[in-house]
Amino acid sequence: MTSQVTTSTRSGMTRLWWAQIDAVIRLELKKTFFAKRGLWIYLVAALPVFLFMAFAMATSGRQHQSANVARRGEKMLTYQDLLAVKPGMTREEVVAILGKPPVNFHWAENRPLGPGVTANLLRENYHYSDGQNDLFVGLLDGKVESVNIDNGNNLGQDSIMFAGVFQFFFLRLAIFFGCLGIFMNLFRGEILDRSLHFYFLAPVRREVLMVGKFLAGLLATCTIFVVSELLQTAAFLWHFSPSAREVYLYHNHGLEHAAVYVGVTILACVGYGAFFLVAGMLFRNPILPAAAILIWEAINPFLPGILKQFSVIYYLKSLCPVEIPSPPGTPPLFALLISNTDPVSAPVAVVGIVMVALIALYASSVQVRRMEINYTTE
Amino acid sequence: MSVPVNASVSATMNDRIVFEDVSKFYGEILGVNRVNLSIPPGITSLVGPNGSGKTTLMNLMTGLVRPTRGRVEVLGYKTDDPEHLFAILGYSTQFDAFPKGLTGYQFIYSYLRLAGRDAQTAEQMAWRVIERVNLVDAAKRNIAGYSKGMRQRIRLAQALAHDPKVLVLDEPLNGLDPLARSEMIALFRAAAAQGCYVIISSHILHEVDVISDQVILLSNGYVVAEGQIATVRGEIQEHPTQILIRCTRPRELAAKMLEDEHTIEVTIHKDEKGVLLKTRDADGFYLALNQLATNGIDVESIAPADDDVLSVYEYLIGNEEVVR
Repeated sequence: MTSQVTTSTRSGMTRLWWAQIDAVIRLELKKTFFAKRGLWIYLVAALPVFLFMAFAMATSGRQHQSANVARRGEKMLTYQDLLAVKPGMTREEVVAILGKPPVNFHWAENRPLGPGVTANLLRENYHYSDGQNDLFVGLLDGKVESVNIDNGNNLGQDSIMFAGVFQFFFLRLAIFFGCLGIFMNLFRGEILDRSLHFYFLAPVRREVLMVGKFLAGLLATCTIFVVSELLQTAAFLWHFSPSAREVYLYHNHGLEHAAVYVGVTILACVGYGAFFLVAGMLFRNPILPAAAILIWEAINPFLPGILKQFSVIYYLKSLCPVEIPSPPGTPPLFALLISNTDPVSAPVAVVGIVMVALIALYASSVQVRRMEINYTTE
Repeated sequence: MSVPVNASVSATMNDRIVFEDVSKFYGEILGVNRVNLSIPPGITSLVGPNGSGKTTLMNLMTGLVRPTRGRVEVLGYKTDDPEHLFAILGYSTQFDAFPKGLTGYQFIYSYLRLAGRDAQTAEQMAWRVIERVNLVDAAKRNIAGYSKGMRQRIRLAQALAHDPKVLVLDEPLNGLDPLARSEMIALFRAAAAQGCYVIISSHILHEVDVISDQVILLSNGYVVAEGQIATVRGEIQEHPTQILIRCTRPRELAAKMLEDEHTIEVTIHKDEKGVLLKTRDADGFYLALNQLATNGIDVESIAPADDDVLSVYEYLIGNEEVVR
């Protein structure tokens, strides 16, 4: 009998808490999405979308140009034909393989050979294309001096670029600062507006209020950044032909990568959100915790293993689907920043980030119970 | 849906608002010090000049600030348990800020939703309380456009919205016009008549005098006196009780009174239609007056002249910053 009553009271309380969380979320979402002080977050989230759109437009323009060059050529060239040209070949050998260049620049160059003696040399630049990839051949006095191939549609290369933008701009800056702007304001903003007492005067457990606010912030940041991530993917794939897109999405893990990026975005919002929620309660000035967390995240590769685990980026990096290779000649310090030297498995990464978030949320729940309304000291 | 009310109620003191040796310091600054109170149902007014600790006492009562020392309980509920405390308590603060972008109705409705009421109940309760504070016409307007009086009324509505047993009201009549003031006073009285605990802070003494069942006088963070006004007055020994006697022949009565052992001082009232007497033993004097009045002097009325809050306040605190 007693246990039945206890169970029914407990389920009643749980229902009540969810109803209260729902009420907090409704109030907070309105404020979070339409607050003037949060407009910059939309801009930050939109920046990579604009970047990929600009890239797609530029690539698209170049593709038209390549197709135009290919049309004007004597022969229909293949990528293998373009690769056949090597430095040291003669003009005639090049023309024999690729035909007369559709685009051709030439000029004379006076080169000093000795005191009072100059040679008049002919420089030529040939531009060939197979419709997608461009070959630029530099000739000096009839001999091939330089060969450059500009690969047009290279999904492999482009997906590394996408991964770079995602890891180094979207995760570390856009989501980081977006979460800072939204989660720190959940309590701090209300203290500055002197309206936090509205919540504190309601018959709501402070922990329930904290969870409601956190979920509202999470819903807002996830909506903003997941939409941004999806738009980035769309913009990234925009300039590829439908067949290339299909191959990438369905046969080359593209769809899987897109889903993982969405998941990493959500986990980033969970991790950074929890950090900034507690920071918003502990600090009056958001710059200090933001700088501290940013530095902590940045120096993560240099930290000992045990300390690495108390970082969000440590787990997020392990979850990113595309490894970014360090370009040859990268200084070791930068190479360490780029590469993930100590990755963890996906389940460990997900559990790790959830644990880090739970620790931060526990700290928030302790802090929210201690909070007093004393606006004059703020 | 409502909060079960049995969770944190202690067996004792569950019919009082209790302060036990409570002190609150804001850093080095004293809020209140060594406060011991036991507040019964009815209207209790906190009276004192600015900075005397009225708002601190209210914030302590409602858990918005925590005591540096001591213990506060409201009808047995701890003040660090807002879930249960605010199920029985409504607080109209002096903070003049509201969540952004809300209309008056949305403000009350959201509060009730936060309190766990379902949408339909919250809507009904919101309109009912908005009607009670006479704000129906402005309910759908954004609070940012409200006048000071309207903001005061919507705050009162928030405090009243969930029919609390304890009402804590910080300067609730500020900014209200005379009609609204009398409406609100009637509302507080009705609540008190139903057994509610109505705690009001005010520095407008004549209003306190009219509405209070008991007062708590504060000065510089200390409780100077508490209880029913007449009782408090009776305990102030250094100031003799003043009694105004309206009668037909004041000079004769004054002469007779001077012969009575209870009398300290007698003056003829300015309008020459009464006598103002000072005595240290009011009860003894009333008995003696029966004999004096039988000698052909018609006594129309006898009333204490200084057992109002204003006099008590002046005797105990002085006359700084009070509004008569």
